[in-house]
Amino acid sequence: MTVSVYVPVALSVLVAVISRVMVARLSPTRGTVITVVGAAVLCAAGTTWALVLLALTLLGFTPLAVAEATERGVVLVQPVPGVVGALAAVALVFGLARVVRVARTRWATRRELRELCRSCAPGELAVVPVAEPHAFAVPGRPGRVLVTQGLLALLDGKERRVVMAHERAHLTGRHSGLRAAVEVCAAINPMLVLVREAVAFLVERNADEHAATVSGSREVTARALAKAALAEANGSRQAALGFIACSVNARVAALQAAPPRPDRLLPGGFLILGLGTATAAVQATLAFYHLIHWLWLG
Amino acid sequence: MRDRARMPSRRGARMPSRRGAGKLESEVLAALWAASGPLTTAEVQLAVDAELAYNTVQTILSRLYEKGLVGRSAEGRRHLYRPIKGAEELAAEQMQALLHRGPDRQSVLQRFATSLSEEDAEALRAMLKLRRRPR
Repeated sequence: MTVSVYVPVALSVLVAVISRVMVARLSPTRGTVITVVGAAVLCAAGTTWALVLLALTLLGFTPLAVAEATERGVVLVQPVPGVVGALAAVALVFGLARVVRVARTRWATRRELRELCRSCAPGELAVVPVAEPHAFAVPGRPGRVLVTQGLLALLDGKERRVVMAHERAHLTGRHSGLRAAVEVCAAINPMLVLVREAVAFLVERNADEHAATVSGSREVTARALAKAALAEANGSRQAALGFIACSVNARVAALQAAPPRPDRLLPGGFLILGLGTATAAVQATLAFYHLIHWLWLG
Repeated sequence: MRDRARMPSRRGARMPSRRGAGKLESEVLAALWAASGPLTTAEVQLAVDAELAYNTVQTILSRLYEKGLVGRSAEGRRHLYRPIKGAEELAAEQMQALLHRGPDRQSVLQRFATSLSEEDAEALRAMLKLRRRPR
């Protein structure tokens, strides 16, 4: 128990570091994104369960249990120091509080976006008469593409097609769900923040590549992206949204390079780390079970 | 897309099958919103994609008109089209409110993006220029 219970933590660090280092090199296919998200979910589940087990050891060593053990002539070897157990319990409570907060904010934002779309004319496209260039994908049934008039006026016909294809890719790829999943993972396990950022980038890259395929030109895609981002930089200090996402420069650079080739090894590596975490968690559970068994039943 | 690239577009060409009609409707609507005033069919065609068949644009415009998404007025023998605005002003207010929410809400929105720093903007301009020159 002592070793395997800490393995999920170690493996999440590894997953986080690898995703940070490799994010620019990964080919942003849907499979890759899902694998990285899957690894993050396994890591988060593994660490959470490890924390639960560590916190539960607190129960096992209550004075009552200790007294009973001494009565029976069993010498208790405390495999988990009480401090660690207490810290685990605290971490668990904080993690859960963060998850609730993240979920609530996400929910509220999405509801507001949907309401915003309802104020607009029906159809796939919702245009808001706002000068700042913004574009969002609003998931739902059916999902909608929400853009500001300012962004549309800034671009030519082909570039507008790029923006719409990009946002559509977010909708059809269910990117918002994938991002919500890693966001919850990062809330419960702060080490996975790096994975969350990596997924955010990969998802944008995936939509960029899709838009490049639809528009038939990587150059037009890069230009549309850069135009929108630069207009944003010139204009207000407001954070750009949706289409004009984080690390625009890296995305433009990737579009100016040759199209990415799918890689097979890396996603597998992520999956192995995630599965390692899950295995360790299972092992720790078994060890915990044995401990309890030994403690109470002989 | 590929079909269209191979076939020279001509007047009266059929609607491109690869791209759904819904997507084209969105593109036409986007072009009307992007324009500063009402547009003729020919102007819409130019604003969306000059390679698109005139008749296709015409069809899309009348469909949008039937759906009540586009307003039409006659100017001589031509029609002028403009987007019909419903409660969009309300939507604009809602969006401004959303964009100026507290840090908590912003962080969710910022997940989608962060703004560009001055250095990044400079680097981006340089990248685009470098790319354009050799062509």
